[in-house]
Amino acid sequence: MERSDTIWRVLRGLALTLVIIFFLFPIFWILLMSFETNEQVLAIPPKLFIHPTLMNYVALLSGKLQTAAGALDITFMRNLWNSVLLSVCSVALSLVLGVPAAYAFARFRFRGGEDIAFTLLSFRFAPPLLVLLPLSLYFQDIGLANTYIGLIWVYQLICLPLILWIVRGYFEDASPDVEYAYRVDGHSWWRAFTRIAIPLAGPGIAAAALLSFIFAWNNFVFALVLASADKQPVTVGALAFVTASGIQYGQIAAAIVLSILPTLALALYAQRWLVEGLSLGAVKG
Amino acid sequence: MSLVLQHVSKTYNPRSAHPVRAVRDLDLDVPDGDIIALLGSSGCGKTSTLRMVAGFEDVSEGTITLAGKRIDRLAPARRGVAMAFEGYALYPPLNVEENIGFGLAREGGLRRGTDTRKRVHEVADLLEIGPILDRRPAGLSGGQQQRASLARALARDADLHLLDEPMGQLEPQLRAVLRGRVKALIKARGLTAVLVTHDQTEANAMADRIAVMEGGVLQQYGPPGELRDRPVNLFVATFLGEPPMNALPATVQPGGLRLEDGEGVHLDVPPSALPPVGSKVVFGVRPHRITLGQGRLHATVTSNQWLGDQAHVAMELGDRLIVAVAHQRVAAAVGSRLDFDFREADAHVFDAESGRALLHGNQPA
Amino acid sequence: MSLTIRNLHVAFRRNLVLDDVSLDVAPGETLVLFGPSGVGKTVLLRAIAGVEPAARGQVLIDGRDVSALGPDRRDLGMAFQNFALYPHLAARENIASPLRARGVASAEIEARVGRVAELLRISHVLDHPPRALSNGQKQRTALARALVGQPRVLLLDDPLRNVDAKLRYEMRLELPRLLRAAEAATIYVTQDYREAMALGDRIAVLHRAAIAQCDIPEAVYDAPVSVNVARLFGDPPLNLLPCRPVAEAGGLRVEAAGLRLLLPAAREAAGRDCLLGLRPETITVSRAAGGGAGTVRPAGAGGAGVPVEIVAATPLHERMVLLLRAAGGVELLASVLGEPPQGVPVVLQADEQRALLFDAESGARIPHVARTLEVVA
Repeated sequence: MERSDTIWRVLRGLALTLVIIFFLFPIFWILLMSFETNEQVLAIPPKLFIHPTLMNYVALLSGKLQTAAGALDITFMRNLWNSVLLSVCSVALSLVLGVPAAYAFARFRFRGGEDIAFTLLSFRFAPPLLVLLPLSLYFQDIGLANTYIGLIWVYQLICLPLILWIVRGYFEDASPDVEYAYRVDGHSWWRAFTRIAIPLAGPGIAAAALLSFIFAWNNFVFALVLASADKQPVTVGALAFVTASGIQYGQIAAAIVLSILPTLALALYAQRWLVEGLSLGAVKG
Repeated sequence: MSLVLQHVSKTYNPRSAHPVRAVRDLDLDVPDGDIIALLGSSGCGKTSTLRMVAGFEDVSEGTITLAGKRIDRLAPARRGVAMAFEGYALYPPLNVEENIGFGLAREGGLRRGTDTRKRVHEVADLLEIGPILDRRPAGLSGGQQQRASLARALARDADLHLLDEPMGQLEPQLRAVLRGRVKALIKARGLTAVLVTHDQTEANAMADRIAVMEGGVLQQYGPPGELRDRPVNLFVATFLGEPPMNALPATVQPGGLRLEDGEGVHLDVPPSALPPVGSKVVFGVRPHRITLGQGRLHATVTSNQWLGDQAHVAMELGDRLIVAVAHQRVAAAVGSRLDFDFREADAHVFDAESGRALLHGNQPA
Repeated sequence: MSLTIRNLHVAFRRNLVLDDVSLDVAPGETLVLFGPSGVGKTVLLRAIAGVEPAARGQVLIDGRDVSALGPDRRDLGMAFQNFALYPHLAARENIASPLRARGVASAEIEARVGRVAELLRISHVLDHPPRALSNGQKQRTALARALVGQPRVLLLDDPLRNVDAKLRYEMRLELPRLLRAAEAATIYVTQDYREAMALGDRIAVLHRAAIAQCDIPEAVYDAPVSVNVARLFGDPPLNLLPCRPVAEAGGLRVEAAGLRLLLPAAREAAGRDCLLGLRPETITVSRAAGGGAGTVRPAGAGGAGVPVEIVAATPLHERMVLLLRAAGGVELLASVLGEPPQGVPVVLQADEQRALLFDAESGARIPHVARTLEVVA
């Protein structure tokens, strides 16, 4: 069967284009919507060529939303700040707790080790709604409801298992010989952990941190139930655009675009860093 | 069947900033019924070459012809090639016997006159895996899996047999015996085989001709004796041989060479074969070709190691070491002076800059 | 600066990997730990280093029991088979690591790293990260790191395994000098018997989790304690033939593969099932008709020539390895100098003085009576 390179190349290009359109079209459509007025969004048939307007962004940044029913105060910028605070703090806490734990699970065999690791992973299996009701009752009793600390604590259910299991894999892949060599050189185990193990697992730690940041950022249900307006992240805050006088599609689209930006920027930055870290190489001689 | 590679190149990531040229302009001619070895250290291009012949990699440039037919654009299954994989690649759900017979069954049975079962048992007995024919690969040691993979390749009646490091996992005892048996089997059945290995002992033991590769470039292709006696350059000269060839910097002087530390080595050669007086060259002599105990040269012994069947004696000549191999014990203590010599026919001279061979014995290279 | 290991036991889950291992290494001595892969050589080395916990037993350095100390407090230098360089540090910092751990002053670190790098000829690559080093340079960097702190005990885990033949031979010649200069008690792990014989002042053969024999290289090669030890030495390997010796005047009469040999071995083996061990280099192959064109018979070669068929001839370092088939399909390996006779009937002969005899059941070697050891120069 003589195969023709040209036909293959064309078919491959076609398939790639289809996949890209399938995944990127919704994002493109949202970007378009964020520059339209509500009337333009709702126009039938939809128009591809529009007169772009910045009013959605102006409304979000200034906190004043003009609707048919009058001006509304919105707290989008505050929500954005809440998102940043909650996600960054949650990931930071998870790293502090999860990286040493991952190292322990990867390097040491101890009684019940596998069971503990699996239990931590199983937090990811439980539907959040199942734990929410008892959780919100307890939180009200001990005064953690509607506090940043309470939310960050609950967010560990999202971040910690992810970091633990991804980073553990990276520690397991790295040869323990390099750490042994450092120990034999005369360094304490703590120095071997901080000077050798962590730098070598750097790319893995960065990848795990990035992933759990995205999961934390996109969380909706925990914040909806456990926080009131002033502590809510953007995912919940976007609900405010479902107003009495109708759904503000334009502003929702602009809010989505603005809330995607930080994660996108982070992902692009980390990607460069990740590739750099992975090409560190030479771990296995 | 004969295999011909013409101007074959392989470039990975050709459009990137750093294309990797794994194989460069390779010409190789394997006559029908020959065993050849592709020999080199890791990253020399031997495995890329093998994968191009097998059809697992596209050829970037050049053509591959097997039995007179161009095969470089064919799917692997249609090339008429059997392969023993370095990573075994056995089918886990099948037992060893079914694994070995699998290729035969796919070919639509054997050619007339032989029956599959008999062939499988023949090859299995030869490789000493007869007792494990009903076991699954998962329960076997690396060496057993490797022999099953080798048996699967050898059982087939392919036009070409590719053996990728086929004995690397075997114990030395078994390896020594199987080398001989596998070579005898390949010769008896008239098969054509390409062996890929980094182990020069294996290449020397099994191959009719050896292709030494380095940096994607074929350095030399010829019978083991030719590579040993007439290496084309310093790389081939010092890559082959255990211990490798002694290589000492020297200067051309009238009627011979002068080693850098001042020892004069007289070489009776036609003056036209040597570069002009004063040129820098490298003088080479194989450790096995040095005779100890008497001779024109002398040096201080730095080590004298008896290895059970041979002695390795290292001597300090200026700030260089020269190694000699003897087949009996050598009575020379570390620190003592030892006389030694070599026949002029066993001397080699290389260009110091390019490494190209200038002289082998008293004949121009 | 000696190393002593007393009754060391190491177990993985319930499998005993090392069973009652005891060793003594003198200062400046190189003890080679030799054995097939998977026998526990690396485990023993790691137990000495303290990175592998020992179930029982003691490790003493200079008479001081260090068994309870961590690897950082045992004063060791260690080179790993996979080099185990720190990929994010330059070669210079890799080598400096043991000195940094001890808080040596920067200027002195600079000087000592420079000295050891010069000794190992890697001065020009000190600023390169490990990934930019060739295999040979990586291996030298790892050795430099092990040597720089002038440790009392050096543990070298098959350091020449991952480098090519040329470098391996270079280092094989260089290492004895380096190790002598280091004056440490050295344990060197390898699974290449030639390397073991070349580098070891003594060789400890590890077999089935225990030390089977610990002696000078010549003794291990020529007088192995058991068939298992004998099989680990020699390339091509030892031929083993089942036999049942008969007592006769002057020794034991042994018949195997058509050979009739009179061995100077102890007579109590008569009538027992034995294994005759013939090293391939002690077998000669010559023309059948007694013509002089064949290879020379070594002194002491005994027994009438046995007709054999040459199945395959494969070259091995200037020798030819012949796969021979004798009557009854018995296969033998011979290692001869020069080209074997071709196209004519050939016979084989074996050197009675160098033949080995083992008890088939226990595997123990049956010693020669008044064995004449050749004088070692």
